[in-house]
Amino acid sequence: MNRVKNFTLVDDDDVFVFLTTKAIEKTNLVDLIKVFGNGLEAIEFLWENKDNMSALPEIILLDLSMPIMDGWQFLEEFTKLNPKIGKKITIVICSSSISPDDVMRAKSISEVSDYVIKPVTKDKLIDLINGL
Amino acid sequence: MDNVDDYKYALDESSIVAITDQKGTIIYVNDNFCKISKYSAEELIGQDHRIINSGYHSKDFIRELWRTIANGKVWKGELKNKAKDGSIYWVDTTIVPFLNADNKPYKYVAIRSDITNRKISEEELIKILQEITDYKYALDESAIVAITNQKGIITHVNENFCKISKYDSEELIGQDHRIINSGYHSKDFIKSIWTTIANGKVWKGELKNKAKDGTYYWVDTTIVPFLNQYNKPYQYVAIRSDITERKEGEELIRLNNAKVIEQAQKLTFKNTQLVDFCNIVSHNLRAPLINIAMLVDYVEQSEDEEERLMVLLKIKPVVNHLMEVFNELVESIQIKQDTEIKSDKIVLKDCIEKILIGFKTQIVEYEANIKIKVSKAPIVYFPHKYMESILTNLISNSFKYKSPLRKPEILIETKNTQDGKVQMTISDNGLGIDLVRHKDNIFKIRKTFHKHPDAKGFGLFMTKTQVEAMNGKIWAESQPDKGCTFFIEFKSTEYEPS
Repeated sequence: MNRVKNFTLVDDDDVFVFLTTKAIEKTNLVDLIKVFGNGLEAIEFLWENKDNMSALPEIILLDLSMPIMDGWQFLEEFTKLNPKIGKKITIVICSSSISPDDVMRAKSISEVSDYVIKPVTKDKLIDLINGL
Repeated sequence: MDNVDDYKYALDESSIVAITDQKGTIIYVNDNFCKISKYSAEELIGQDHRIINSGYHSKDFIRELWRTIANGKVWKGELKNKAKDGSIYWVDTTIVPFLNADNKPYKYVAIRSDITNRKISEEELIKILQEITDYKYALDESAIVAITNQKGIITHVNENFCKISKYDSEELIGQDHRIINSGYHSKDFIKSIWTTIANGKVWKGELKNKAKDGTYYWVDTTIVPFLNQYNKPYQYVAIRSDITERKEGEELIRLNNAKVIEQAQKLTFKNTQLVDFCNIVSHNLRAPLINIAMLVDYVEQSEDEEERLMVLLKIKPVVNHLMEVFNELVESIQIKQDTEIKSDKIVLKDCIEKILIGFKTQIVEYEANIKIKVSKAPIVYFPHKYMESILTNLISNSFKYKSPLRKPEILIETKNTQDGKVQMTISDNGLGIDLVRHKDNIFKIRKTFHKHPDAKGFGLFMTKTQVEAMNGKIWAESQPDKGCTFFIEFKSTEYEPS
């Protein structure tokens, strides 16, 4: 079983965040769960900590539809930032959108490892962590 | 006698001379006669004069000649004769009858001079003239022909010209060629025709002309300038052919193409709206549904009664949210479906002032400065309830996203666009939107760009839906922390939207 030090959620949906946090906790595989309410907060944190390996997450569960900076815009910014980071950050899109357009678009971005359609179960979370 | 010999010598040297008896039998020829007829004197003398008959002249002509000289009169004329080798020559001929005591001719002296070259030239000229006449006939039959002088005054028209222009030739001749001007072509185009032909060059092109009864016709036109010895045009010959049917066909095809393109654009637009709508459903309706499903699952699985109660409490707001989004969507569909809605005549100043009453508290509280400049386009035709909703939305946005550093300033302006639409701008000095970051999203449902507690991301989506339902356009310009300007283009017709 893999263990994750830092699992980050980027999502503005309080209910989803509450329930997913509970589910992550139940896996007993994660030390720290960080939550950002939109893409901007997340990307600002990553920029500030790009040289601080311990603060950076191993995996980000990224929502697409968010205020201020949505998931796509976050990915644009992240693509610029990624080469400057000395740590592999796995990004999994986690959206309620079942639109094939969104799935196709996500697949075309090399920084994106997977596309998960909400809801996310505990088992799926374990799969994701083991896949790291 | 010396004198007579001198004359004879002079005559022989200068002319073709033959003498026949009263029956026409040759009794004398001079050297010139032999030279031109290519017979020797021996071959000729004793022969009937008809030996050099070319058969060219009619029997009547020959009979008349004989009648004249047999009556003792001198005959003058031009004859076509045949030489020994079959070649033809022309001679200007004078036949003088010599009379006996009974006043009857006993011999005829024919004095001729060679006019073959002149006659050949004449014949060629006649042939060319005939050809020209034939050409003119063919041209008149097949084409529409008009001739004007160098000033453009019509000097000649053929029947075809009269037929197509529906004028009589009397009505046309002496008139300026502009009598058939349709006004369709630009001044520059007409000027370029004149420049070409005035410089002595041929002009070819397609022209739309107007007939006497006001109908139009298209002609494929070639204008040929005829030049005088100074190379200046002294007249212009215009040769045309009727291409009205072809041009009308082309016009029809062009119109149909334009229609098809317009339809395609409409369909593309509708399709974009549909895709947008699918995305809205996918993003905005599915999210709260999943929340409910997850919450219910959690309640089912939880064994801790306190936790179950806490999670149950979370369901209610999600259901409310789902309901809200759902109602908003239904409202927007109603706008899209409401194609029957009629435009009202809106006096903008009154309409805006009425809406501003609703913002009175905010205006006073924030010391806002609101300017209305709608005198350039004071009236717009648009559904009243949409206009109120649009203005309320945009003005409330300006207040909601005002800068904390400045007193709000809002300017509402209108003007007429070049293509007959009304453009309204609503600009403020507020926080602005980072359009580089948000440009595709600002009018989408549930997109917000500020961390404002009231930001729901629905106003601009609805505003855009209302504007587009009436075939209008909306777009924005903004710089973060400078302000924001919304542009709305109203089609502003009194008619219903299509």
